[in-house]
Amino acid sequence: MNTHDEERIRHLLKAALPPIENTEPGNSGPARDLWPAILRRLDERPAPPWFDWALAGGLALFAVAFPATIPVFLYYL
Amino acid sequence: MNTHPYLRAFLAGAFPPILVLPLVLTVFIVFRLVLQVPVPIERGIIFPMALVPSLFGLWNMLWMSSHARTHLPIGLHGALLPLVLMPFGALLATCLGILAIGAQGVVWFQAFHFPYTLIAPIFFGALVAYYLVWKYIVGFVNRVLGIA
Repeated sequence: MNTHDEERIRHLLKAALPPIENTEPGNSGPARDLWPAILRRLDERPAPPWFDWALAGGLALFAVAFPATIPVFLYYL
Repeated sequence: MNTHPYLRAFLAGAFPPILVLPLVLTVFIVFRLVLQVPVPIERGIIFPMALVPSLFGLWNMLWMSSHARTHLPIGLHGALLPLVLMPFGALLATCLGILAIGAQGVVWFQAFHFPYTLIAPIFFGALVAYYLVWKYIVGFVNRVLGIA
C-alpha cells in the first residue's frame, strides 16, 4: 500500500463516517439551537375562538354568582 | 427529543394541578390555621394533593397513546376526565366525611349546601373548566415538550 492509497482510504473513511465531535458523550446535542424554532411555532397559534372566551366568561360569572362552588372546583383540581 | 414520550406526557398532564396546589394550600393555611374557620378543609386536601395530579398525568398519557386513532382534540379529551374524576372524588369525599348526601341536596365541607338542582350546573362548570385547562395549559405544555 503506497502513500496515494493511504490518502485515498483516509478520504473515503472521512466521507463515510460522521464527524466524531458530535458523537462524543456529553456533546450529542443538536448542531443548532432549537428553542427559537419552538418559540416561532408557539407564536403561530391562532387566537382563542370566541366560544372559548364565552365559556371562560360564563364560568367566571357562575363562580361569582355561586361563590360556595369555588372550594368544590378547587377540590377537583 | 424522541426519548421517554410517556414520561413527558405524564409531566405535562400533572402540570396544572401542581401549579394550583400551592395556591390551595395557601388558602387552606389562611382560612383554617390563621382565621380558625371551623370547616374541615384538611380532609379534602388529600384528593387534590395525592390523586388528581397523577390522574391528570395518566389521562394525558392516554391521550398521547390514543390520539393517532381517535384524533380527539385535547380539550375534549380533558373535558371527559370529570366523568371519571367526579364520581370517584365524591365517593372519597363521602368516606372522608366532607360530603354529606341528604334529601334536599348535598353538603360539602359541613358548610356549603347545594340543592340537587345546582348539581347539573356545577358538573357542566367542571366540564368547561377542564376543557379550558386542557386545551390551553396542558396543550401548551405538550407543545413545548414536543408531544403535540
